[in-house]
Amino acid sequence: MQAEPSQIADADLLRAVSRGDESALAALYDRYRLILFGLILRILNDRSEAEDVLQEAFLQVWRRANDFDEPRGRAFTWLVTIARSRALDRLRVLSSRARLIEADKQAVSYEPGDAGQEAAKSERGEIVRQALRELPNEQRRALLLAYFEGLTQAEIAERLGDPLGTVKTRMRSGLIKLRDLLRDRSRDLI
Amino acid sequence: MEHAGYSELLAAQAVDALDAAEARAVLAHVESCAECRRELAGLRDAAALLAHAAPLAAPDDDVRARILQAIRGLTESPKVLPLPSSSNGWPNVLRLAAAIAFVALLLGLIVLWRRDAASRRQITEVTRQLNRQQRELQTERENLAQQAAALALLTSADAKKIALAATTTAQNARATFAYDEKSRRGILVIEGLPPTPADKAYQVWVIPKGLAPIPGRTFIISNNGRAIVADNFPLEAGSSSVIAVTLEPKGGSGAPTGAIYLASPAG
Repeated sequence: MQAEPSQIADADLLRAVSRGDESALAALYDRYRLILFGLILRILNDRSEAEDVLQEAFLQVWRRANDFDEPRGRAFTWLVTIARSRALDRLRVLSSRARLIEADKQAVSYEPGDAGQEAAKSERGEIVRQALRELPNEQRRALLLAYFEGLTQAEIAERLGDPLGTVKTRMRSGLIKLRDLLRDRSRDLI
Repeated sequence: MEHAGYSELLAAQAVDALDAAEARAVLAHVESCAECRRELAGLRDAAALLAHAAPLAAPDDDVRARILQAIRGLTESPKVLPLPSSSNGWPNVLRLAAAIAFVALLLGLIVLWRRDAASRRQITEVTRQLNRQQRELQTERENLAQQAAALALLTSADAKKIALAATTTAQNARATFAYDEKSRRGILVIEGLPPTPADKAYQVWVIPKGLAPIPGRTFIISNNGRAIVADNFPLEAGSSSVIAVTLEPKGGSGAPTGAIYLASPAG
């Protein structure tokens, strides 16, 4: 790779990875390790498990970079989806060992406001968190429960004691509103 | 369900909040509906950005090195495992050879250490070779472990086993598929397939009843017509799905396009 890695588009890096370019994988790691590790850690709440899953996720990126299909989605979405599915798979394994008791204690920390000071440095992250703050509380809560806990709509309804139909509407309205807010504010993101 | 009904489920699908049956139905609809496909892609992009709601966190520095070391191991070991040869003595021969090479290299190192500074470069070279040999040995060990895991799955009582029959395309082909629902590990042991043409690859498919085929791994067949394909398979592989192998363009396809070479009977 001749150009500065920071100037190469994600999709080009993924194509280079699919040709077996290790430095492209390293560049993707350097670019996204903070957000992907933050995501995995938020799901698993255990550093050592999260590091293991981060490694698994990048090995999957290495093996499956061929599957990335640019017309059907953004590279960032593809990477985040791999990291999140791996983390939720691991969460399901761990939850059978009652690890969730620990996570439940932290269940109050859904508010995007306390997303951490380091995160505030990322401009992109700030746009997303601002948009999340503009969603009605119930919509945001339903979305984040699905996203970070891997719960289905039915499980969310049970957890919150709300009717299933209400949860479905909130989730749908919430994600559509989030998408529209982000589209208005940054064409670069969506 | 009509288009409008599916369209209402797309947001939930984008955060994987549908139950398995709903998700399958939505994905099957999306395959045939360009409008829903675009909508789902946009909602998935929005959902992926929810990752920003988690605090950024730095993994330990050695994770990067671990990943790069692991992919070197993957690159050197073929993704499709060759069948173990009938005489199973070779791993020991290999180990012995590696051990002899190891000792020889060590001796070489000692001799070189005694020479003056001009020899340093040679020492570096020998060390590099030694490292490479150790990596190769490690790769070989991982290969053996993978083969052992594959054979364990094939002989496991918990694993579900299905025979795949040849089609008229290649009448001598046959295969066995073993699948463990708990671990989602599956293995396909194949014999008698014709060698893969240069610009093509064989591809594995899981075809749930009445739904779109789910693409699996691609693989290449060399002269002996054999391959073992070990992979994680979707849960559908354990139900009444058909497991099939087709010939596709190199790199694989999203939906089958080529001739069917092997298929399990429809459940």
